[in-house]
Amino acid sequence: MRGLDAKRVLITGGASGIGAATAARFLDEGSVVCVLDRDAEAGHRIQHELSELAGVLEADVSSLEQVQAAFSDAIQLMGGVDVLINNAGISIRHNFLEITPEEWDKVIAVNLTGVFYVAQTAARHMMEHDGGVILQTASTNGVMGYPYYADYNATKAGVIELTRSMALELAPKVRVCAVAPGYVLTPMQRAEYTDEMLEEVNRKIPLRRHAKPEEIAALFAFLASDDAAFITGHVFTADGAETAGGLASR
Amino acid sequence: MQLKGKVAIVTGGASGIGRATAELFSREGAVVLIADVNEAAGKVASEKIVKSGGRACFERTDVTRAEECRRLTERAAREFGAIDILFNNAGIIRRATILDLSEEDWDRVMAINVKSIYLLSREVIPHMQRAGGGSIINTASGWGLAGGAKAAVYCASKGAVVLLTKAMALDHGPQKIRVNCICPGDTDTEMLRSEAQQLGEPSEGFLAEAARRPLGRVGSADEIAKAALYLASDAASFVTGTALVVDGGGLAGTI
Repeated sequence: MRGLDAKRVLITGGASGIGAATAARFLDEGSVVCVLDRDAEAGHRIQHELSELAGVLEADVSSLEQVQAAFSDAIQLMGGVDVLINNAGISIRHNFLEITPEEWDKVIAVNLTGVFYVAQTAARHMMEHDGGVILQTASTNGVMGYPYYADYNATKAGVIELTRSMALELAPKVRVCAVAPGYVLTPMQRAEYTDEMLEEVNRKIPLRRHAKPEEIAALFAFLASDDAAFITGHVFTADGAETAGGLASR
Repeated sequence: MQLKGKVAIVTGGASGIGRATAELFSREGAVVLIADVNEAAGKVASEKIVKSGGRACFERTDVTRAEECRRLTERAAREFGAIDILFNNAGIIRRATILDLSEEDWDRVMAINVKSIYLLSREVIPHMQRAGGGSIINTASGWGLAGGAKAAVYCASKGAVVLLTKAMALDHGPQKIRVNCICPGDTDTEMLRSEAQQLGEPSEGFLAEAARRPLGRVGSADEIAKAALYLASDAASFVTGTALVVDGGGLAGTI
């Protein structure tokens, strides 16, 4: 991808899953990459796997203090941040009727408040310096309804509207887009499926398979690159056509 | 090179977004078959690619005619052995309310902007199925997602392209044929300038108005071509049924 060489990239939730694949992809493109994650153990693993990483920062995005400290560290390590992959997120499977206030607060704190803390910290830096690109991980769950993840879905819809509003306010210096992945087969997700469950979900997807984390990483690379210089405020769905039709399509 | 060894058909390839895409696909290693009704410009576009070391040819094609779509597809399959990428890009615009639009113009816009995708894709898809997959990219518009003034039939046609894209993605996904569309905002092409003329507005004021969007400018044909390149390439291997908006933030909200 054009224009990613030597770009300074910060990836939250970067120690596993889509974030880790995205870190590997940007390193391949010649970028300088720092990952931020609250999971210290996963952080050690990714540092070992991707030895070219400029840094692995431990922080919980739901704490503004920790976000600001980690962001300063990222600037120390890389000299600045040109691209933010605002990706950290959690989900809890539960019935709507049984969601506790604590669970609700926790999901909102990481997926929406945390995304805001990181986005605002990075945007202030980018607006003061040479601009940049902010890409946020939404989900097809932020576009359509899915049972048992009402709180998660609400946060992802929130990320989408946050993205569009940021794009309007930060243009033309900073481009802001969201990526809405459908089903992605991360190692963690695979471990939760039996073979039969995997097959059943695959049948619902026109491409008849889950995305590989690397395929979502490739989309982040495209959107961060110069090839996407006129794309801002867009929510990019990468779901194997899962949401191209509703339930009626099946 | 992101499209090394691939074969691509580009309709409306003689000018504007189509021509920029044909050139970019060629630079990325694809063999390009340019289809257009404008023979003179189509030949110039194809010769320019050949002169710069690429492989391209031109086939005069009216994509609203079934037999011409068949001839185009047969030529691509015969000469290049496969069709990996189809860019259904041919399109026209009529700037008028329905009260000022002739029935003939309604039919013509719908035929070129929508029916052509049906006619050509139904020829090309069997070849892609036999080859084990492919990528189809349709040119829709920001006005396929939101309404625009004095552009009724154009909006209707581009809205149809967006949902035709999604329906085709559902139908042909299992055969690994990805189908996506691009929704450009105002793009610096002859077509954009023709709109000022159709509306009877001075071109300068019209273009200044078109640039009123978050990035503060209209897009270039090359920027739309780069979006088409992404969707055509293996980098987009899980992307299908999507409408990629390339509009400098124009649809993100009001400024």
